[in-house]
Amino acid sequence: MSINDFLAILPVLVVLVTGVLVMVADVFLPEGRKGIAALLSGLGLAAGLGAALAAVPSTGTAFAGMVVADGFSLFLDALFAAVGLVGIGLAYDYFKRMRLQRGEYYTLLLFSIGGMMLMGHANDLVMFFLALELLSIPLYILSGFFRARLASQEAALKYFLLGAFSSGFVLYGIAMVFGGTASINLEGIVAAVRDGSANLTFLLVGAALLVVGFAFKVSAVPFHAWTPDVYEGAPSPLTGFMSSATKAAGFAALIRLLLVVFPALGENLAPVVSGLAALTMIAGNLIALVQTNIKRLLAYSSIAHAGYLLIGLVAVNSSAAGDAVAAMLFYLVGYAIANLGAWSVVVAAEQAEGRGLELEDYSGLGRKYPWLGVAMLVFMLSFIGVPLTLGFWGKLYLFRVALESGLFGLAVIGIAASLVSAYYYLRVVVYMFFRDGEGVARRDVWLNLIAIGSAAAVVLMALVPGDLLQVAAQAVLRVP
Amino acid sequence: MLQEYLPLLIIFLIALLVGIIAMLLGYLFGPKRPTRRKSAPYESGMVPYGPGRRRMSVRFYLIAVLFILFDIEVIFVISWATVVRQVGVPGLIAMAIFLGLLEVAHLYAWKKGALEWE
Amino acid sequence: MNLSNNPLLWVTFLPLAGALLVALLPDARRSWIRWTAMAAALATFAASLWLLAGFDPSSGQMQMVIQVPWLRVAGISIDFALGVDGITLLMVLLTAFLVPLAMLSAWSGVRERVKGFMILFLLLETGLIGVFLALDLVLFYIFWEFTLVPMYFLIGLWGYSRRIYAALKFFIFTMFGSLLMLLAIIFMGLQAGTFNYTDLLAQRELFAGAQLWLFFAFALAFAIKVPMFPLHTWLPDAHVEAPTAGSVILAGIMLKMGAYGFLRYNLPLFPEATLRAAPWLAGLAVVGILYGAATAFAQKDAKRLVAYSSVSHLGFVMLGIFALTQQSVAGGVLQMVNHGLSTGALFLVVGMLYERRHTRDMAAYGGIWKVVPVLGALMLAVVLSSAALPGTNGFVGEFTILLGSFGAPALGTPWFAGLATVGVILAAVYLLHLYERLFLGPLTHEENRQMPDLNLREVLILVPILVMVFWIGLYPQPFLDLINPSVETLLQSVLPAAVAMH
Repeated sequence: MSINDFLAILPVLVVLVTGVLVMVADVFLPEGRKGIAALLSGLGLAAGLGAALAAVPSTGTAFAGMVVADGFSLFLDALFAAVGLVGIGLAYDYFKRMRLQRGEYYTLLLFSIGGMMLMGHANDLVMFFLALELLSIPLYILSGFFRARLASQEAALKYFLLGAFSSGFVLYGIAMVFGGTASINLEGIVAAVRDGSANLTFLLVGAALLVVGFAFKVSAVPFHAWTPDVYEGAPSPLTGFMSSATKAAGFAALIRLLLVVFPALGENLAPVVSGLAALTMIAGNLIALVQTNIKRLLAYSSIAHAGYLLIGLVAVNSSAAGDAVAAMLFYLVGYAIANLGAWSVVVAAEQAEGRGLELEDYSGLGRKYPWLGVAMLVFMLSFIGVPLTLGFWGKLYLFRVALESGLFGLAVIGIAASLVSAYYYLRVVVYMFFRDGEGVARRDVWLNLIAIGSAAAVVLMALVPGDLLQVAAQAVLRVP
Repeated sequence: MLQEYLPLLIIFLIALLVGIIAMLLGYLFGPKRPTRRKSAPYESGMVPYGPGRRRMSVRFYLIAVLFILFDIEVIFVISWATVVRQVGVPGLIAMAIFLGLLEVAHLYAWKKGALEWE
Repeated sequence: MNLSNNPLLWVTFLPLAGALLVALLPDARRSWIRWTAMAAALATFAASLWLLAGFDPSSGQMQMVIQVPWLRVAGISIDFALGVDGITLLMVLLTAFLVPLAMLSAWSGVRERVKGFMILFLLLETGLIGVFLALDLVLFYIFWEFTLVPMYFLIGLWGYSRRIYAALKFFIFTMFGSLLMLLAIIFMGLQAGTFNYTDLLAQRELFAGAQLWLFFAFALAFAIKVPMFPLHTWLPDAHVEAPTAGSVILAGIMLKMGAYGFLRYNLPLFPEATLRAAPWLAGLAVVGILYGAATAFAQKDAKRLVAYSSVSHLGFVMLGIFALTQQSVAGGVLQMVNHGLSTGALFLVVGMLYERRHTRDMAAYGGIWKVVPVLGALMLAVVLSSAALPGTNGFVGEFTILLGSFGAPALGTPWFAGLATVGVILAAVYLLHLYERLFLGPLTHEENRQMPDLNLREVLILVPILVMVFWIGLYPQPFLDLINPSVETLLQSVLPAAVAMH
């Protein structure tokens, strides 16, 4: 153990230490001044973001090969820290308004972000599991943050039970992989496959179980059942954060795992992932069509987007693997920005006691608050993939990778699904602009800032998408 | 390879045997004068009847959870203690960080009033 | 290369600049907003005339090409590439000509949220001109899709009773086609390593193996937009529910995007597939001509009638394009302009009637010639131009198309043109029927007696269009001079494939 080991995961450590500090600080903060915890957390995340952007972590493996630092993990560190910052911005005004400003929210959020960052760094199946639990357990608790609200309790319980279930899959998968290769280290697994000592059947079963376990986290169909209920019941700022970040963390794990096992199992495993992708795109979009609650609608929308991303995951098993990872990272960033923005509008429009969340309540909102309305319009168009938004470029890159890898079927399904999605995303626009109504929204500083900032980012970055793609393409994984 | 586990098996068998013998002795030589009380299930002298879902005070759970939290640390401390000389100063630092984190948790529980019995 | 001297940039982005300017004005200052927007639209028209002045009509090649690398997608560069040839130039001129007139028609039609209307209208103009000028397939797709958003709002916010349904239908239908086109574009880019139109054209054999599929993907997108039978069902709804200015742009320009797409992309990029598909598409075009005409005749709603007449008229354009002779294609291009003028004017006139009586039902009018003689006279000219009376633009266009497609080798039989000729007669029938029911006979409704005649603004809207109508009708040569070299270049890249096939 040397200083380099700690440097390799510096952003993670910064965030986790901040989490501990906020926890201690919180108990000494007087009631009514709990917002300071949010400020502290924001500073910590900014420091973590700075550490990731300044590329302080040394690259290579650390802690005896248990963690790895490479372009990929750095990219994700920065993404999670940034999403976390926005997540805190969403939460601050919201909980102040709901009279539930408590330091624990920020502590747990930081722990969860630390777990997500660790997921990008994991180079060892046990580290994957550790990261998975570290990111999940705080989220279970946070889902039930409205203790007095039944829906929130239900969300927490449901999330916990199904999450624990999926953790079981992951653990069992780890055991199987270990049984097949006598190693839990990714390098060891690759070595075992290369020298032919691995039992490929066990490896296949193990890998399939791992895929299932993480498919829960990215809410791929048919492992998505928890998503709408949890997203609806959990506090809105948390849902916004969760749908952006947890998805990215799940995909981080899947990308690294599949890059390792695909060379040995590609022919057997790729159809499974393809099937997941097709099902997720179709079911996510179709069910979203009939939603009338904005939180459920966005939940199904997040399922659908997981489906598009899964196309990229299939393409990891091809000569275009590098492009596939870059395209997925790009898509994740584009989705995260638009998604956080959309949730900021939802948070702004939510009233006490969970009112103001039906699409009906959005009637006339766009005309009354043109800035919020135009921002929401931009996010919806980005979700559909209309040009001059980041979502368009994301889809363009993903479909490009799909065609490059010969996945014509998936590309066509993706296209059809995008078309279906246009209907329900436009419905939000219809309510906001074309219907008359008495919708009301808050003019909280942070929420407006996030909504307008995200909208500006979605449009402006779409004018020069090359830079972001460049960064994503450089975020290469260290392949053992 | 399995031979290495032979002592374990023997210990297991002996333990089983001791249990069986102890119960057998009581069964063979003990006087048997059953009453209604005596043939009822034994529960620390409490009346074993009542509603199945008796509510326990939430304080018990809190204490139990705290106990588990702070008890588990022992596993790590003991395993560390066996190799304390080999791992040297870095090991000491790591253990200090670990105990420090526990202390933070303790502090938190304390300030939140989790240790009060009221 | 000095970009600021290139009229292409000005004509594309002047409306956008105007939109930004309008966005800065206070909501309440309606007249400022209107005049700023109008100034931007007129400046764009001036820029399009500048473009015309700098254009060399003797060459059929792309001119004033701008090509700036924009970004690279894993080795394949996407350029910001614009260029203009004779066909493009006419489309740009038509757009820049119609937009200020449509805007003028909204002076009284749009009283609420004027600022939003003008911003969207100018954004739409940038998108439309971009579609015609783009020389990079991704850039083309971006402009193509971008036009959806402003039009969606124009229909949804300022439309009539079923506007939400119509707007959504319009959006989803168009998107359905264009998404497949996007896949095809990506596929071609991957095969050829470039998205640049000129480069793709030079290397079209690289994706020739898949060209039937690619042709289909592009054709679907364009056929929906044109619209060709049986993909036309969005059109009557969108047209009827859109505000007048929206209908004018929709019919006058957006439908041309589809026909233009066929000309610019389908024909030269996939020549063998074009030749194979030509009889089928020409057949659909003829069905569209007859079906559109028959349906138009049965309408009670004046605006719906005009909408169905568009289906019929665009059928002529498609027939001309897929007859694949110099004459028929040139006629098709001219007819695209003609339809933009005539149908645009028809929508304007129907819109003026609606503003007076707030109904589009033809039965609510009748015999109003005596009350509004100016409107009646101008509408008569418009109707006759749409019905292709000799001396008007419609006659020149349709006659050239029919002449060109009678002996077209690509179609193999004169039956297509023969049946289409019936469409010309039907057009006269339903259009004169429309005019008769509105204006002729005794005055049937007393309340129509108070109807005011056209004011100066409304006359000013119609007169420029009528000037163009008769100019093209009586002396079409300048227009054909613009069209012919480009069509020649275009067909030169298609017809060698024909030789190869037969």
